[in-house]
Amino acid sequence: MKGLFVRRKASEKTGLKESDLCKVLKTMPIFQDLTRRELAAVIRILHEREYQPDEIIFRENEPGLGMYIIESGRVAILSESGKLQLTELGDGVFFGEVSLLDAAPRSATAMAKTKSRIFGLFQPDLYGLIERNPSLGIKIVLGLSRLVCERLRQTNQRAFAFNEALQQMRHTEP
Amino acid sequence: MISLRDPSARKMLYLLLALVLITLVLMFSHVAKMVIIAMLLAYILDPLVVRMEAHGISRAAAAGIILAVITAIMIAGLFLTVPLIKEQMMQMSSGESSAKTDVALAQLQEVVRAKLGWLGYGDIDLKAKLHDFKAASSKYIVDFIVSDFAGLVITLVTIPFLMFFFIKDALTFKKQLIRIVPNRFFEFSLDLIHKMDQQLGNYLRGQFIDAVTIGTLATVGLGALSVPYFFIIGPLAGLANLIPYVGPFAGGIPAMIAALMEHGDLSAAGNVALLFLGIKLVDDFLVQPMAMSSSVHLHPALIMVACLAAANLFGLIGMLLAVPITGFIKVVITESAQTLKQYRFNRDITLKA
Repeated sequence: MKGLFVRRKASEKTGLKESDLCKVLKTMPIFQDLTRRELAAVIRILHEREYQPDEIIFRENEPGLGMYIIESGRVAILSESGKLQLTELGDGVFFGEVSLLDAAPRSATAMAKTKSRIFGLFQPDLYGLIERNPSLGIKIVLGLSRLVCERLRQTNQRAFAFNEALQQMRHTEP
Repeated sequence: MISLRDPSARKMLYLLLALVLITLVLMFSHVAKMVIIAMLLAYILDPLVVRMEAHGISRAAAAGIILAVITAIMIAGLFLTVPLIKEQMMQMSSGESSAKTDVALAQLQEVVRAKLGWLGYGDIDLKAKLHDFKAASSKYIVDFIVSDFAGLVITLVTIPFLMFFFIKDALTFKKQLIRIVPNRFFEFSLDLIHKMDQQLGNYLRGQFIDAVTIGTLATVGLGALSVPYFFIIGPLAGLANLIPYVGPFAGGIPAMIAALMEHGDLSAAGNVALLFLGIKLVDDFLVQPMAMSSSVHLHPALIMVACLAAANLFGLIGMLLAVPITGFIKVVITESAQTLKQYRFNRDITLKA
């Protein structure tokens, strides 16, 4: 009967120390306001995956289902349409988070460069968590919104800088 | 060449082994029936569990509460219905008919003698035939209940317990299932399971609400019309409603015969027919549009073949489960085909040097 009414620790399910995973999640803006208990609830819906070098995580133009958090290893983000590598990500970094909010196709391909242990958080599980625990769901969605706002602000700043540079180039042109 | 050293190939092998295991379990039809019913119940009741969780109750406690409520309903149902069913069975097995029935039978016999005498039915004894039929059918039902009583008790105890575990560990089961899927098919499987979950959830819950509503309406209506065996025919009509086209007749015709036998009057059978017509209208215009908004369309021929095959393999319960299971298979195939188009499983990526 032991364990029937007692929630198992996330570490028992993921094979990773819960505290380590909590630390990784705490560094992410989406989860930084969550309590330890709430983080444990998030860990319960994470999917742990292990990828070999050159193994595809997801591909450009496929439906975007959710985000990935790199626990260890390196992941390359590639543009298949442009046939080039956009960036390379390492431990503790997350990617694909916008897919938690909308169902738009992936804008790039993700491929493991080294043997990587990655945790996935997906839209259906997040929606399920929001239904089961609305207050926690709101906190996560607020965290996501803050992240998207930050990205939008950065994009605006870049666009503004780009526009200014363009104007300057026009003025300096003979 | 596929090598077992390749983790993806190994996981695919595990998946195949799991499928073989599931097939073996399914071969033990009685166990399979219990597992399928428990899974369906867990699936149907999931929104209730989610609602409880939203109020701060843990999933295990919510599953426990549902188990306790179902057990209480079963015990109360047994105490309330067993004496009634027993009385109705005794009445059925006694083979005695009312004076009105005798009059109706005598009239009917006269008609048969006059009109169908040339077919060789002139000297038919309808009263004796009816007596034999009632005695034989009630003996069959009593024999079935007595001979399989232990099995019935085990089934009634096992299904709620299995359901409890399916509810409590639903998320873990889903996660474990996803865990064994190779990386290449991981997001595809997750996407597919989610889409199937949405479609099937609505479909099965719609079927359940529909069957319960029709069963309740039929039981109350037949009771109000003083139709004998209403406590048996009503719930059966609800269950039979799971089978499209045939369902309403499967409930209506026995009720009409019972009413005719009891009251010896065609108007009694007419009232029952009107009742079932009313129920059918309520079902078509009120219950189905509300409960089964996302129904899975199944071709009538497919339903017929599925029902016959399931009846052959799993008996009456198989026949009742045939439509939801065919719906399930159809959703799996159509969603798989649609989702498959959105994914590419080849590994080749060409980048600029």
